Parts: sequence; C-alpha cells; structure tokens
Amino acid sequence: MPYGFVIDQTRCIGCHACTVACKSENDVPVGDFRTWVKYTEIGTFPTVRRHFSVLRCNHCTSAPCVTICPINALDKRSDGIVDLDRDVCIGCKACMQACPYDALCLNEETGGAEKCHYCAHRVDQGLVPACVVVCPEEAIISGDFSDPESKIAKLRSRPDAVVRRSEQGTGPNIHYIGADPVSLDPGTALEPNLYIWSERRFEAPDYPPVMPDGVDLYPDATTVLDVNHKVHWGWKVSAYLVTKGIGAGAILLAPLVGAAAAGTNAGDYAPEIVGIFFLAVTLPLLVVDLKRPLQFLSILLRPNVKSWLVKGSWVLTAFGGAALGALVARAMGNDQLADILRYAGMPLAVGAACYTALLFAQCEGRDLWQNTRWLAPQLLAQTVFLGALALLPFLPANMSLAWLVTIGGVAHAGISLREAYGGHETTNARLAASLMPRIPAWPGSKFMAFRLGLVITAIVSLAAPAVASAGWLNSDLGWVPASVLALSAFVGTFFYEQCYIRAGQLPPLS
Amino acid sequence: MTTSDPMRVTPLEKFPPQENWDHWEELDAKAWPRKEKKAYSLIPTTCFNCEAACGLVAYVDKETDEIRKIEGNPFHPGSRGRNCAKGPATINQVNDPERILYPMKRSGPRGTGQFERTTWDEVLDTLAGRIRKAIQEKRLTEVMYHVGRPGADGYMDRVLQSWGVDGHNSHTNVCSAAARLGYALWSGHDRPSPDYEHAKFILLISAHLETGHYFNPHAQRIIDAKSSGAKIATVDIRLSNTASMSDYWLAPRPGTEALMLLGFAHVILQSDLADDNFIKTWVNWHAWLDARGHERDFGGFMEELKVEYAWATPEHVAEVTGLTAEQIRTVGREIGEAGSKFAAHVWRNSASGNKGGWQVARCLQFVVTLVGAVNAEGGTSGNGYNKFVAKPFDVPSPQAVWSDLLYPREWPLSHHELSFVLPHLLRDGRGKIDTYFTRVYNPVWTNPDGCVWMEVLQDKDLIGCHAALTPTWNETARHADYVLPMGVATERHDLTSQETHAAKWIAFRQPVMREVMRRRGEEVEWTWQANPGEVWEEDEFWIALSWRIDPDGELGIRKHFESPYRPGERVTIDEYYRWIFENSVPGLPEAASKVGLEPLEYMRRHGAFLVEDNVYVTHEEPLPADKLKDAVFDNDRAEVRKDGEVIGVFADGKSMVGFHTPSKKLEIHAPVMAEWGWPEFTEPGYIKSHIDEAELDRDAGEMVLVSTFRLPTLIHTRSANSKWLSELTNTNPVWINTVDARCLGIASGDLLKVESRIGYYVNKAWVTEGIRPGVIACSHHMGRWRLEGDQHSVNSWQCHGMTLDRQGTVYKYRRQVDVQPFDSDDKDSAKVWWTEGGVHQNFIFPVQPDPVSGMHCWHQKVTVAKAGPDDRYGDIQVDTAKSMDVFREWQRETRPPTGGLRRPLHFKRVLRPTDDAYRLET
Repeated sequence: MPYGFVIDQTRCIGCHACTVACKSENDVPVGDFRTWVKYTEIGTFPTVRRHFSVLRCNHCTSAPCVTICPINALDKRSDGIVDLDRDVCIGCKACMQACPYDALCLNEETGGAEKCHYCAHRVDQGLVPACVVVCPEEAIISGDFSDPESKIAKLRSRPDAVVRRSEQGTGPNIHYIGADPVSLDPGTALEPNLYIWSERRFEAPDYPPVMPDGVDLYPDATTVLDVNHKVHWGWKVSAYLVTKGIGAGAILLAPLVGAAAAGTNAGDYAPEIVGIFFLAVTLPLLVVDLKRPLQFLSILLRPNVKSWLVKGSWVLTAFGGAALGALVARAMGNDQLADILRYAGMPLAVGAACYTALLFAQCEGRDLWQNTRWLAPQLLAQTVFLGALALLPFLPANMSLAWLVTIGGVAHAGISLREAYGGHETTNARLAASLMPRIPAWPGSKFMAFRLGLVITAIVSLAAPAVASAGWLNSDLGWVPASVLALSAFVGTFFYEQCYIRAGQLPPLS
Repeated sequence: MTTSDPMRVTPLEKFPPQENWDHWEELDAKAWPRKEKKAYSLIPTTCFNCEAACGLVAYVDKETDEIRKIEGNPFHPGSRGRNCAKGPATINQVNDPERILYPMKRSGPRGTGQFERTTWDEVLDTLAGRIRKAIQEKRLTEVMYHVGRPGADGYMDRVLQSWGVDGHNSHTNVCSAAARLGYALWSGHDRPSPDYEHAKFILLISAHLETGHYFNPHAQRIIDAKSSGAKIATVDIRLSNTASMSDYWLAPRPGTEALMLLGFAHVILQSDLADDNFIKTWVNWHAWLDARGHERDFGGFMEELKVEYAWATPEHVAEVTGLTAEQIRTVGREIGEAGSKFAAHVWRNSASGNKGGWQVARCLQFVVTLVGAVNAEGGTSGNGYNKFVAKPFDVPSPQAVWSDLLYPREWPLSHHELSFVLPHLLRDGRGKIDTYFTRVYNPVWTNPDGCVWMEVLQDKDLIGCHAALTPTWNETARHADYVLPMGVATERHDLTSQETHAAKWIAFRQPVMREVMRRRGEEVEWTWQANPGEVWEEDEFWIALSWRIDPDGELGIRKHFESPYRPGERVTIDEYYRWIFENSVPGLPEAASKVGLEPLEYMRRHGAFLVEDNVYVTHEEPLPADKLKDAVFDNDRAEVRKDGEVIGVFADGKSMVGFHTPSKKLEIHAPVMAEWGWPEFTEPGYIKSHIDEAELDRDAGEMVLVSTFRLPTLIHTRSANSKWLSELTNTNPVWINTVDARCLGIASGDLLKVESRIGYYVNKAWVTEGIRPGVIACSHHMGRWRLEGDQHSVNSWQCHGMTLDRQGTVYKYRRQVDVQPFDSDDKDSAKVWWTEGGVHQNFIFPVQPDPVSGMHCWHQKVTVAKAGPDDRYGDIQVDTAKSMDVFREWQRETRPPTGGLRRPLHFKRVLRPTDDAYRLET
C-alpha cells in the first residue's frame, strides 16, 4: 500500500499555503522547509511565463536516505512513507548527501534532520497530510497508488505525469502533472542574486546553468523564487579523509617497514603508533561533525547494517583493534603474534582506506562522489602516499618508502586530474567536476584548493626519492626534511579533499 | 483502514468528524514518532487577514488553553475548508512576541512614539466624554471612524447612526472606488460577482489567483473552471502568478485597458456575437437613441452601436495599447463565443491606477452585457445578489447631517469617501475632527502622501483626539493618542458575507478561547477576559463606549444598545448575534433545529451558513403584486411605470424587478453623467490616463510606476507580524524590463532612484522579462519601518529602523538597522536569516484623486535613474510643500454640482443620511 503524492502543476497557483501549513502542523523552525515552492520564469516579454513546482521528499521506493542512515532513524514504512525519528537522529547529515532531491534539512536547534514525513502522525489517525487539507486548488493529491480506482492512481497513470530526476533510480513517489521541465530539473535555470520578493539565504552560484543530458538549452530560464540549501559537510570531513588515510597507510606499509628495520623502534613500533595516533585523531573529527555528538554511540548500539557509515565504523574498529593488538603483542615480546596481526592489518587498512568510496557511493545526491571505480583506487593511492610519508621520518633513507610516495602521489594526482577534467557520466557530476578547480583554499583565498593541493602533491612525490637518496640523510637530523615533506603532503591532500568534498555538494538538487 | 479507535477517520479524510470537535484527540506532531495524544477543542472562526473571510478552525489545547494550530473550516461555503498561506499563518499573529496587549496612552508629544500603559476604563471615559460633548454641541461631523479592513458587515453603521453622526470613513478610494463607479453606472451594483466555476471564458483585469477580492474562494473556482476547459485571459502590466496560469497574458500600455475592452466589444459587435435578445430587454437602448434624437427600433440601435464603436478596430486598438490586433481579435471572439458563460472581473489593477480608470470597469461591463452574461450561470452578477447582510435587532434612523470631509462637494459621484485626501481637506479648513478613530487602518503607511498624514495627525487643532484600534502596531498608531489593541481572527466576533460565487452565505467570526470557556461552563462577560492580555474586540468596545456616551438615555443613544431579550439592560454580544441568527437569516433557525441546536449554537459550531445557493437571473424576479397596482405596462420600451417613474421591466408579459438603476435596465446610456456635469461620459468610453504615453518625457527618463500589486503571502500592513509570511516574502525590488535595465546599465540587485513629483526612494532593481518595457512596478506590502529611538520594537520580522531628518517640509529617511535576529519568547526570532524588509514607496506618491470617481489614481509618472554615490538602499525623501500643489491641480479638474443636491439620490452612499442631508445649503 504505497502512499504518495500527485502534484498537479496545472492547478497549483504557487500560493505557498502548503509551505505554511506544513510549518504550522509540524512546528518547522524558521530557516527550515520540509516543503517549498520554487518559481521559474521562462521566455521573454511578452511570452514569458512563470512556472511553479512544489518540492519535497519523494518518499522513494528505494530511498537512499534510509540506506545511508547509520542508526535507522529513517525508515521506509510498510505504507510507503519515509519517516524520520527525530529523537534518535544523531545529526550526521549523511541523509542530506544521500538524498538527490534536497528533501532533508538540518534543524539547527535540535541538531537533527527534518523532512516531510507525509504527516505520518495524521495518516496513522486516518487524516491526510496538512498540505493536502490547506491547498486551495486541491493540487496536492495524496493517497494510495495501489488502488486503481483512486484519484491519485488515475492521475499518476496520465502520460504527462513525471517524477524528479528519474535517472537517480530511487523510485520517487511524487508524480508531477504539467510541470515545466526547467522547474523540476535542478540547475538548468539562471540563479539571480536576489529573488522576486525574497532575499537569497545563500549567495547565488557564480557558474552558469547546466543543461541535463539530451535536453536543449534553456537560455531564457531564471529561478525567481526558491529555498537555498546549505553545504553540510565541510573541513571536518576533508580532514577525516586525510587523517584516516595516514593511519591506514601506516598500517598498510607496516610489514615493509618492519622488514627494512626489524629490531629497531622504527621498524617494530612506528607504524602502529602512527596508525593508532591518526585513527585516534580521526574519530573525534567524525564525532565532532555530528550535530548531536553525544549520541555517537548509537552507531554501534542501533546500527543500520546497510549503511557504509556503520560498516565503515566496523572496519575502523577492526583496523584499530589489529593495530593495537600488534603494538601490545610487540611490547609484550610476542613478535610472532605481532607480525600476524601486522599482516592481518593490511587488508583492514585497505578497507579503512577504501570503504569511504562505498559510503560515498551511497550518496545518491553527490554524483561526483559516486564515481567509485576511480574513487576507490584514488583513496588507496592516497593512503599509500600519505602512509609512506608518515613513516618516512622514521626511515628517512628508505628508498622503497620514497618510491611508494612517488607512486602513490602520482597516482593520486593523476586520478585527481582525471576527476576534474576527465569527464563524467552525469550532468551533476560534470558540474561538480568543473567546480573542483574553482574552490578557494580557504574562504576568501585567491589560491585555489585544487591547484594548491596538486602542486604540493607533485612536488612531494618528485622530491621524496631525491631527498631519500641524498646521503646526508643518514644523519640524526634526517627526519627533519622527511617530516617537512610529510606535513606538506598532509596539507596538500587536505586542500584537494576540501575542493572535492565541497564541489561534490554544490550542484543543485532541487 | 478501519480501527476501533473512535478518534480515527476512515479512510484518509481531510477533517476530524464534526461530532468529535468538542473533544478531538490527535497525535502530537512535535512528539512524533512517539505516539503522544493531545486533546483539543475545535472552534470555527473566520480569517481576518484579507477581505475574503475564509473559514478557519482553531485547535485549542485542552490542557494549556493555547491555540495549537489553525486549519480551514469545511462548513464554510466560500472557502470550503481550504486556505491560502495567510490562513494558517494567523497563529503567528496570535503568538506575535511583540504584540500590544494593553491599551496604551501617549506619554510624549504626538508622533514621538512614546506611550504608557493605561486602563480601558480611562480610555472609555475619555472617549465617551469627548463624543458625548460633541453630540450635545451638535458637532455631528466631528466624530470620525476611519476603517481600513471592516471584516464585518453593517455593525458600525448601526453604532454611528445611533450616535447621529456622519462619521464613517473608509479605505475604498485607495482601493476600489473607480471600478465601483463604472459598475454602478451600469446596474447600481458597484462590484461584480463572477460565477467563475461555470464559465467558459474568464477575463481577469486582476490577479485573482494570488490576491484580491476574494483570492482563495475565487482562485478555487477559477482553477476548477480551467480544469473543466475554460480559458482564462489576464490583463496585467506585470507577469502575475495569475497571468502565468492563464491562456492569454495581455500587458497593454498602462492606461489603455478601456480601449482594449472596446476593441473586444468591436469584435463582438462586428462578428454578430452579441446577445440581441438579452440586450433588447435588459439594456436601456431607448435612452441611448433618445439622447441622439434618433427614432429607431432595436435593430436600428444595434446597427448604430456597431457604427458607434467602429473606430475601435483591432488594428487601431493594437497601435495604442501595444497589444497585437490578433490578440484583440482572438480574445474578443473567444468572449463572444463563450456568450453568457463569460465571467469577468476588474479588481484594482488599471481601474485603480489611472485617471478615468472607472471607464475600465464600465467598458468591461459593456462587454459582459453585450454577450448577455449578466447574472447568468457562468456569467457575471452584481455583488449584492451574492452577499447577505443580516439585519440587527435595532436599526437607528439615518443621520440628518452630511460631512464635507467624507463626501466633499467637488466629487458628487465619488464611490465613496474621499478618505485619502482627508488631511488635505482638513488643511484647507473644510472641517475638523474632535475624536478620530482609525481602525485596522494605517493611512500614514498605506495611503499616498503619508508625510502629510503625519503632519495632520500631529496637529491637535485639526484632530482633537486620535485612537488607533488595531490588532497590530503600525506607523499610524505611532501618531495616535491612544493605541487600543483589538483581537485578531481568533479573538473577536464579526459577521461577514462576501460575493464569492453564485450563492449567499454568512460566516461567523468568534473569539475561540471565550467559546472554549463557555463550553466549559465558565461565565465570560467580556471577550477581553478570555483574550491574551487585555485585548478587546471592537463589537464590545462600541457597545461599552456607546453605553458610556449616554448612560442615562438622555441622548437617545442608550436605547439602541439595550438588550432585545432583557429590556433596559445593556445588550451582550451573544444577544446581539443570537437575535440576528434567530430572526434575520432565512433558513438558519430551521437548519439549526434539524440538528437540535439553537441558531446561535449552530453558528458557534459550524462558523458559517449557506443562505441561498445557485443565485442567478435575479433581475427576472417578478415585481411584487402590491407594486403593480395602478402601474403602466409599456411594451415598446419594456418598462413598468408608476407615477411617472420606472419601477420595473416588462417583457413577454412579465413584470420583473430589473436592475438598481433609474431605468431598471442596464444603462449603456447613463443620463446621470450629463445631469451631474459630465455629458461627455454618458456612455462607455476611453479616457486618456494621466500617465498616457503622450504625458511621458521618455528622453528625460520618465516611466510609469505601477505600485499596487499584491503578493499571495502578505496583506497590506497587517502581516509583518507573521514570521512564516515574512520568511517567504521580505523584499520588494523594483521590476524593470531587461531592455530598460540595459539602457540604464543596471543588473538585478543594483540600486535605482525612483523620483516622483514630491520625492524619491532608492530601491533595488529586479531585472525581468515579466514586465512591459517602459513600465516599472513595485509591490506595495513592504518597507515597514520604525524610527530609531521608538519605545517599542514592533513587527521585527519585517520592520527596519529608520532615522528621520526633517528640514521644514523636507523629510529625509535613511535606513539604519536591518531586519535581524532578535530576542523574544519565540525561539524562531533568533533564526531570522533575512536582512531586508523592502522599501516604503507610498510616501513619495502625491494624492491624485480622479475628478469623477474620487479614486486615488495610483500609477505614478516617475523618473528612473541609476542611484548616485550618496544614495543608499531604503533612502526616502519627500517634500510636503509640493504635495498640496499636486492635490490642488487634481482638485481643479472636478466639477462640483450645480443643482441643489450633493449627490444623486439613487447612488449608494456609505452610512446613507436622510434625503434632506443631500441638499446643498444655499
């Protein structure tokens, strides 16, 4: 019994009654919208027309927000409603990355997500959603699609009924009648720096509109009223990618280092200490990024096993456990066990490095990040690059490490270039890619993060073998230049991730 | 989906079943997904935001006595349970953290914004004392009640007439006066009531899918018609949401709309699509021929009519209007083919914008009449046929005086009070005011020439005492002696009816908390005792005030406020409405008894009542038999006459009531115009506007400013207290066509300086294809301000802080404080993310009273330029010395009556006095 909506844009007059009734019914704070109306104008005087589209959660058949939610706060009910338990939500904002429709927003007051839940509290009492009650034009039709006699089922079967962004494969359950494609295709209209009777909440993007594949240009279309959406993942996520990469890299390369310097502190202890240290830095970054950090244990206590946030946390736990075990065994003198754990740590390190590609693949709203076949190898290359650099100060003249820096760095840089310039399958990803080189290194900076990141990576990659082969590095101060290289690379990689993470979130979804 | 839970509805329903409204348990949305139930009383009332009077139902939490939310009322025949954004937003107005909750008295000089709390006793004693003295001293034109949004029908007429004063002022002439005259000349009804639902073709010179009389109910029916295949044409200078939803968007040069309509008439006549049968019986074509001295039959008239409008060819019309001949031809033919199923409306728009705008309504009604759509199903009726005004228990005699401040003699045909030139008339020594009530009215902000209003409101010689009755703080209240908080939609009684469709209904507004307390068995004497703070309701205020004006009955006022049920006792508000519902509303007592309720109880529980449905062809109602005695039946002229006067229409052997005109017919020829000095305007025609292309110096940067359009989310100056509406709508940039913007070298967001005869403002540009080149437009809701240093922070969701630098007659306003987050009991006030509140534009408009209708002609000739280096967003400058000059220029164009009367006796007049009062003193 799937519930859904038909929104009849041939009747909708863009009056915003639904928006306000929703706020009233659900006590939605100022700044947040569970449903809103977008106005788009197309044409030139006197043939210009304004088009309305009522935008909200699609209650998707395969809802990516439900899949990614680590703690099952989002739930696809048996009646089709995608409901949200705001009490248990930890504010990880993954659902906002997973939703390809901008349907979720963050309630800054509670730290939890907000979304249209089809007024489930009313439905459970036999009442239609509040927006349906208020609509002067009966343009929002709710009901059960499976009843062929229902008004909604008949309307849905009309040939002109369409869904938003069907290419995302989520199976949206809001069907639009008579909507102009521009009003449903995000990013295809010009974004002015103010709206027809409202300010913009966030500045207009400085890039031109992008046309979806196979669609003609909409040269004269302008979005004239809309709700702006926040970019939710920022520097903490970029930093997490770097610190996790360093930790994983150190463990991944531990056997190599061990073989090169067995019996020394560098060979016996350095990889695990580095790995555990950076893992220890990574976890707080993740927790602090939660809007309800005190509830982070929910990830372990009420896990959604489909979410790569959860699986990732298991991988990280196992990875950390192996590293810690190796360290303790070594300290207790059980070298055999320590070596076994060290080797066992290798695949876990690969997992720790690469699971993010699978997490990002669950972010249906971020096409750039869903390029898994390149993202996974890139994360691995990054891990090798960062791990080798992290260990290099302990073995400054180790040419194997130095060459791994070069191999990892060049591979990482190469894939970075491919991501930015090598083409993508979807419009959304192409737009994001085109924005990658245009993200400032820090707010207001004239340096671009992408270029800065790549230049640093290239220099470090090429410098590492040269520096390692210089004889004087066998002196006591050999760790100094190696550390400089390592720290530079960490910063450079952070810049790259900044542009990758931010650009991925910029293409409009609604 | 069945369940044993008695609170559950099966299957999904819109509203809880009415039998549970007394106790409705609902899952709490805030607690969800925890299934916590809360119990509510559901109390119907009526929206008080726009004029449509849509039904609402308040959910009152039984535990906390707070209103949880406000939904629609399914029993309301006009709104049918649905609302626009402003309906549910009423809860914001109830909970506005900056509400004025107690009566305030001025504590500094007038206009300085200094107030202190006072008591209602003091307020009532002071005002009653003043009014009593004025009445005793026969200063019967010195008490004035000036209303913006009435929200009720007839209540105040009774009060003012019981006092014997001529003191009803309104906002009509900044709103609908022009169209009223145009309509009234045809039929006596001064507004249309289109039957959109059944129409085949709809012509809107309005924006009824977003605003206007009556937005939500009309929008429902227009869209229903559209879904059933009707076509819609919308005439608007800018792309409204309505125009966007229409099959035809017509954006003629402003001021040429009447000509466009004559073009349609031309096409209909030339294509022989006119309804000859209808015209023959129901139009006063004999008078038309008589005026020309032609003795011809009906066929001859139709031939002559074609010739009369032969000049209005599509090609000529296209040249003047800027539309295409094809558009004129196509729309004209579509109207003709729709025939009697042609529903049309002009509301504000060009009628209110232009000098001679009243001819727009007249030409529109000409087209309606030509196709025989008057009072037809799917056609266009008169408002009076679809509105039911119930008689109260006591109707005082009309007052015997005439106020020259309300209906000044220069404008004998005005529809109606020359409200917006009140300060100019006072300045000219045309009268003075002892006690002045503004009520849900903000003339300082809303009217043109607000700075002159401020000057006069501060002049104690002209206005002795000013009490502002208002649910919200406003710029006018700031200049009052008393600010008296009155209830919002859920805190007051009113009875309203509006012509939303081919039916008649009444809607009952009631204070919901008082009703909850009553149902609990608690005695509530006055509504304010149930309202927040000491917020009164006007109905009771006027009873209490009248009682104090005449405590012993000496002035003959008290008797009008004595209970019809308890002789000699003061009437209660319950008794007032109880009497109406028991005695004045046909069918209500029967409907109530069917469900076992007293009529008052029925209205308390339903909130509305359908008095009559499917009201059509009312002009064909038979003349009452008693009127037919000694009557003359004239077959040739299709008239019934008695004592030399036409009393009805005679056709096919039937005597019918006809229309509310001297001829009882639709008057294509209105002799009244010639009799009152305007012989050139006896028939529908096209008057060149004050902003006609010929009046503009394009080289000097002159353009037309259209300043009247409303937005779907706001209502005048009464919605800045709603956070949700302000969040959606918070700026009013100046719309300018891409072509014009290119010439000026500006982009959206750049600053424009817009200069009128008396001043200028600086606002952002909104560069758009959605407006005719050569015209700019700016929405009128925004630009609310307070002066820095004012005691009260008010309307902070939309209000910005200004400084005023006054040098003699020159006022310079500069915006100092943006809209910003603020501390309050409402957590949302800290989350305000927008910074603008728009620019107040009406300040820079001089008054432009139409010489015939008395309407303020809103369109302004302005000079538009890129802002200079010293100009800042929100700057306003006005010189009031220039204001009076413009007023006099327009005043000089009037033609005061030359006969012995102030106004035609057959014209409607608000608070109609005795016929004797119509006589001009010689």
